[in-house]
Amino acid sequence: METAVLQVFRYDPEKDQAPYYKEYEVPVEGTLLNALLYIKDNLDPTLAFRAFCRSEVCGSCSMKVNGKTKLACKTPMKELVETWKGKPLRIEPLNHMKVIKDLVVDIDKPIEKMKTLIPWLVPDPRVVPTDPMHESIIYPEEMEAYKDQIHCMLCFSCYSACEAVADNERYRGPFAFSKAYRFQVDRRDIETAKEKRIRYAISGGLWSCVQCQKCLYVCPKGVKPAEDIQNLRGQAVKKGFTDKPGAKKLKHFVDWIYATGQINRLYLPEEVYGNKEAREKLTKAYTEMGVEVWEVPKPTKGLMKFRDIYLEILSKEDKALDLDYSHVRKIDKMVSDIFKADICTIVDKAHEEGRSSRGLISKLKGLLGGQ
Amino acid sequence: MVELDYDIVIVGGGGAGLYAALWAAENTILKVAVMTKVYPTRSHTGAAEGGINAVLTHSVGDSPEAHAYDTVKGSDFLADQDAVDIMCKMGAAVIYDIAHRGVPFSRRPDGRIAQRPFGGASFPRTCYAADKTGFYILQTLYEQCLKNNVTFLNEWFLLSIIHNGEKVEGITAWDIRNGGVHLIKTKAVILATGGHARVYWNRTSNALGNTGDGTAAALRAGLPLKDMEFIQFHPTGLAKTGILVTEGARGEGGYLRNKDGERFMKRYAPEKMELAPRDIVARAIQTEIDEGRGCGPNGDYICLDLTHLGEEKINERLPQTREHAILYEGVDPVKEPIPIAPTAHYSMGGIDADKFGRTPIKGLYAAGECACISVHGANRLGGNSLLDVLVYGRLTALEAVKYADEAPETNPSVAKAKDDEKRILELMEADGKEKVADLRRELGNVMMKHFGVFREEKSMKEGLEKIMEIKERAKHVKVYDTSKKFNTDLITALEFLNLVDLAPAIAVPAIERKESRGAHARKDYPKRDDKNFLKHSVIKRKEDGTYELSWKPVTITKFPPEERKY
Repeated sequence: METAVLQVFRYDPEKDQAPYYKEYEVPVEGTLLNALLYIKDNLDPTLAFRAFCRSEVCGSCSMKVNGKTKLACKTPMKELVETWKGKPLRIEPLNHMKVIKDLVVDIDKPIEKMKTLIPWLVPDPRVVPTDPMHESIIYPEEMEAYKDQIHCMLCFSCYSACEAVADNERYRGPFAFSKAYRFQVDRRDIETAKEKRIRYAISGGLWSCVQCQKCLYVCPKGVKPAEDIQNLRGQAVKKGFTDKPGAKKLKHFVDWIYATGQINRLYLPEEVYGNKEAREKLTKAYTEMGVEVWEVPKPTKGLMKFRDIYLEILSKEDKALDLDYSHVRKIDKMVSDIFKADICTIVDKAHEEGRSSRGLISKLKGLLGGQ
Repeated sequence: MVELDYDIVIVGGGGAGLYAALWAAENTILKVAVMTKVYPTRSHTGAAEGGINAVLTHSVGDSPEAHAYDTVKGSDFLADQDAVDIMCKMGAAVIYDIAHRGVPFSRRPDGRIAQRPFGGASFPRTCYAADKTGFYILQTLYEQCLKNNVTFLNEWFLLSIIHNGEKVEGITAWDIRNGGVHLIKTKAVILATGGHARVYWNRTSNALGNTGDGTAAALRAGLPLKDMEFIQFHPTGLAKTGILVTEGARGEGGYLRNKDGERFMKRYAPEKMELAPRDIVARAIQTEIDEGRGCGPNGDYICLDLTHLGEEKINERLPQTREHAILYEGVDPVKEPIPIAPTAHYSMGGIDADKFGRTPIKGLYAAGECACISVHGANRLGGNSLLDVLVYGRLTALEAVKYADEAPETNPSVAKAKDDEKRILELMEADGKEKVADLRRELGNVMMKHFGVFREEKSMKEGLEKIMEIKERAKHVKVYDTSKKFNTDLITALEFLNLVDLAPAIAVPAIERKESRGAHARKDYPKRDDKNFLKHSVIKRKEDGTYELSWKPVTITKFPPEERKY
């Protein structure tokens, strides 16, 4: 029988001064969970790990294999042996949670964190009948909006893999945002609850996510927390929660690109972090470095057409309302003041001067993901 | 010894436990706690796939009476019809209630809850949420419990039930995380600890922990267990692991084929074919295998063919089935049939409770699979267990609230807790001549061989002897892990000892029920015998550890027994 060696993390806080690794030889048969059960039944009954359903619905047995987050019952031993040819398989508990014993970690904290995001339906009485014998109608199409999020089984794989959890104690964790987002897009959930969720999500670190996408890759159930977080951010901005740097950055991007075709590295620190000296310091530094500096880019031919295209793209993604026209007007005014003419005239002038705008537009298209 | 004090303790955090907690939380200011040996969302309700039966307002032509009739007929007339009546009438109410709380039921194009055909049902009345119905229900109930700030004692293991012969006084439990026996004082207890099909350790669809902890504690506390001989074998467990393939696979049109490619169900249930009740299909499969028409090199499985359904339908309606077949069996159902064989699945029997979930001890209730109300009689219909779980979770919660509101304070003695401490210490100091894993495997083999799909007197008597021998040898098992924190070695041993206590409670009535009814199929008595056995078996454990069998009448209201044909 083919066998493999598991190096299993062992730590009993009552007895052990420090964690250590113990090696077990197990058959390469079935799943990693089968291997752990084999150890428990035949080699060492003191090994502690959680497992229950053995068919990937209960979320108990998530752990790390050579640093990668895995659900033991969903991981065939054969696959592990093939992936890590020749190397020992190091089995460890999940990150970011206190080890209770061996592979068992304390999951109370992430659950408590999740609770702060109202991860439950708060029914809108106008949509959900209060009469218990009256059915509420839900069309299959509407359920598409949360078809992935409902698969979360609280295995905490994403929580373990998350960069933001490591950096920010308050950060609620990827799964928690997905659980919250599921109700943000449910028509039956009342508007006041949706607003609260956004408020709590912001104070729970909504803007701390660095979009590393790890959560999306480790989820054994195809939930996409990173995407849900982006969508929650969009909702936050739409609902007027724009005082956080993250929201301000998003606003800077959207407005400046619309107004001038690009973001503005000189104004960004000021608009996002309120750093008023940055513009002057940067100008000085760039000049010294011999880098070309401009306060606002000179509008070129085709800018108005570009704005139409950009708006169309934003509309398609349902983000047109993110545009703040008063901000855009301010930028326009700044451009007009600097070039001593109103924005349309400048563009016309640029046109008359026969400067090519094609370069600009293709560059901007590149910025927007090639669309 | 820390003492905890509640008004109602719900033991078990699955569908029944959480729904009970929710209804208790919303209807009382009493102190309610849910105690569970895992975290609630790990519970095995989450593995229920196919759906939940209920007649809804838009179920044209169907009625709660028709549902009740199907249930009673499916039960081989052993179900108590007053209880079945309650369950079927409450169907729509619980479905709409959980839908309003957020369960994402699959919908028809007109936005109403979709229903699919299921085994033994005369109408398509099984509401479903893809093939993860139980999972979504469990998650939703947990969310709603968090919303209502329900108190959870997560990872606590039930040891004993304390009562004074008349009313319940408390329980004792082991705190898995920190270690230690605790005495919990409470006026009411709802046992919602799930089934015990893990007695069939080596071939079951059940989770590792479905070890009948509440049922065994009730048995040790002198409470009667009812109809324990009836264990449902699900016809379609994956051949290698026993992991469940939902009945929904046949509901959606899957075929069962033997090695000749024949749809053999036509010889067993010509009308219902693959959608005959589970006991009949399981026996048909076992017969095909026993008579040499099984598939594969050893002829030890049957093929569940979904290939004609097409990839799109399989992905939409049976995504989890496809995933499991690929992962655990190495077979993609879109391209090849799935190898399956019967697997121990559900305990029809359990703690003897009446139509409101009350046991003979006041303040002690049982709901869900650990209870025998009895709404499933000798054979449960697919889709009726989630319904049972919700209806009785809710009813027992309301009963317990009513009772605990008026009940006086209790005063449980610490003696039981001291006993339990001693018992655990003894386990750690035992000689270790026997190993839990070995005995558990042996017990599983004995149960499957002697109390499996088909049974007969001589073999069962042999089986009972072997069980008693294993029970004796179990005195020598040892817990090697002596630490307090998260001692899974101890929990594994306690779970095994629960199974050992329950095995004779299954075997004794199985031997004495000299007829074939529902899931209890005897080769030596192949016919149902209403004259002598239209009655519930009741088994108790006496102080000296011997098992005492008695019988109790079945409540028959609307549907007189008739021949069961499909």
